[in-house]
Amino acid sequence: MHEVLVVFRRELKSYFLSPIAYVFGVLMLSMLLYYAADVTLVDGSQASAENLFRLLPSILLYFLPGLTMRLWAEERKLGTLELLMTFPVTIGQLVLGKFSASLVYLGCVLLLTLGLPLTLAAYGPLDWTPVLASYLASVLFTGSFLAVGMFWSSLTRDQIVAMLLSLVSLFVLYNIGDPAKVEAAADWLPWWLVDVISAISPYRYFQSVARGVLDTRDFVYFACFCGLFLYANALVLHGRRQKG
Amino acid sequence: MIEVDRLEKNYGLARALKGISFQVAKGEVIGFLGPNGAGKSTTMKILTGYLLPTGGRASVAGHDVVADSLQVRRNIGYLPESTPLYGEMRVDDYLQFCADIRGVPRRRQRAAIARAVELCALQRVTGKNIVELSKGYKQRVGLAQAIVHEPPVLILDEPTSGLDPNQIVEVRKLIERLGTEHTVVLSTHYLQEVEKSCTRVIIVNQGEIVADGTREQLVHQQPAGALRLVVRGPEAQVMAQFRELLPKDCPIEVRERRSDRIEYRVDIGTATAPVDEALARLVIKNGWDLLELQRERQSLEDVFRALTLRPQQEALHA
Repeated sequence: MHEVLVVFRRELKSYFLSPIAYVFGVLMLSMLLYYAADVTLVDGSQASAENLFRLLPSILLYFLPGLTMRLWAEERKLGTLELLMTFPVTIGQLVLGKFSASLVYLGCVLLLTLGLPLTLAAYGPLDWTPVLASYLASVLFTGSFLAVGMFWSSLTRDQIVAMLLSLVSLFVLYNIGDPAKVEAAADWLPWWLVDVISAISPYRYFQSVARGVLDTRDFVYFACFCGLFLYANALVLHGRRQKG
Repeated sequence: MIEVDRLEKNYGLARALKGISFQVAKGEVIGFLGPNGAGKSTTMKILTGYLLPTGGRASVAGHDVVADSLQVRRNIGYLPESTPLYGEMRVDDYLQFCADIRGVPRRRQRAAIARAVELCALQRVTGKNIVELSKGYKQRVGLAQAIVHEPPVLILDEPTSGLDPNQIVEVRKLIERLGTEHTVVLSTHYLQEVEKSCTRVIIVNQGEIVADGTREQLVHQQPAGALRLVVRGPEAQVMAQFRELLPKDCPIEVRERRSDRIEYRVDIGTATAPVDEALARLVIKNGWDLLELQRERQSLEDVFRALTLRPQQEALHA
C-alpha cells in the first residue's frame, strides 16, 4: 500500500509540475462547458445538467488519449521505466499508483464542471440526485477509458502511436454503446448480437448509472473492465522484463 | 555479495549472454569492460532484477534475482546507462521520492537525503529542477538516487559516459569514495577508469567473459610484449645477428632510420628467456652503440584490444 501511495503521489505531482494538467484541464473544460452551456442556459428551459453529462463521454473520448498516451510510453522512452522497475515495488503497485493518480487528476477536472449545475441551481430549482449520480457515472466511465488508454501506452515507446490506438479503440467502445447507433444497427443485425456488442461498451453502463439507478451489476462491470485492462497493462510491463 | 552462475540471456534469436559466471566479494569494486553490445548492460539489468535471464542463476546479497526480485532490489542501487531522471522534478523532491519508494523510513529520510546530497556534492542544486542541471550534475543526481538508501551493492552502468574531463574526474572520485562503503559493479569504456578505481576487472566480449582478474594479473597473462632498441650500426648486420639470437617466430622490424641511428622493434612474443639482456650484450660485443633499450609496457588497453578485437578479426577472416 505504501508503495502504491508513493507512486501515486509522484505521478499526481508530475501532472501539476508540467503544463499538461493545466492545458488539458482548461481546454477540455472550456469545450465541455461551452457546448453544455450553449444548449442548457436557454431562456425558459428546464434546469437540468443533463446536457453536460451527455457531452462528457464524447469530449473525453477525444481528449483522454492526449493525456494517457504519455503514461508509460514517455517513461519507456526516457528510460525512467527501467529505473522504476528496479525499485522494490511490484508491477501491480506501479500500475495501480499510476492509474489512481490519473483518475484523481481527472476527478479534479470533473469537479471543476460543478460550476454549471451550481449556476443552474442559482436560477431555478435543481434536482441534485441525477446530478450526483451523473458525477459518479462520469468517474467510473473516465476510469474505464483511462485504463484502456494506459494499456495502449504500455505497448509502445511512441506516444503518437499510443494516442492513435487509444483514440480508435475508445471511439469504437463509445459508439457501440451509443443508443442511436445501437438502434440503427438493430435494423440489419440480429438484436441479441447488437445487445451483446453494446454490452461491452462502458458508455452503456455510464448511461445506466447516470440515470440514478444504482445497480450493482453496473459497478461490477466497471470493476471488471478496469481490472481487465490494468491486468493486461501489468502483463505487458512484465513482458518487458522478458524481452528487454 | 554477487554470484552469477552460467547466466544466459537471449533477445529473440540473438544470444546476448552465453552462460557467464563470476563472483563478487563484499567490498570489491568491479570494472566491467567490453565493446558495445558485449553484454555488459544485459548482465547489469539482470542483476538489478529488471530483466529476467533466459538461463542460469544469479543472486545478489544471497537473494535470487528471479525468485526473490524485490529483496534483490532492496539491496542494490542502480544507475542505468544514460541516467534517466524525471526532469520536471526538483532534485530534493526526486531524492525524497527515491528514498520513499526504496522504503527508507520517514524519520530517517531527511538524514539519508542529506548524506546523499553531501556525498554527491549537490548542495547547490537541491532546489532546482532536474531539467535545468548540467550533464555532470544530472549524473550526480543519478548517483545520489542510487545511494540514498545506503544499499550494500551499487550497479553503475557507464557512470561517466558523456561527461567532460573535469566532470569525469569528479564522478570518478565519487565512485572511489563510494567503493569504500559499497560493493560496486561499474561498466565503462574508459580503461583509465578501471585502472584507477577498480580492484578487479572483468572483460566481456560477445556474451562471454574473456578475462577476469586484477589489472596486474590481466597484464601478465598477456604475451610479454615487445622491445624497442635504437642502435648505431650497419643495419643488415644488426638484423642478421638479431635473427640468429632470437627464436625464429619473433618478428623484427625497423621502425625508423635517423641517419646512422636505427630503431628496431622486436616482438619477443612468448619468449621466456631474458631476451633484452642478451640483445644488449650482442650489440656491445659487436662494437655497435646501444642508444636506447626499452620494454614496451603492456597496458590494460592492449589486453582489452587483444581480447576483444582478435576474436572478431578471426571471425572476419574465417
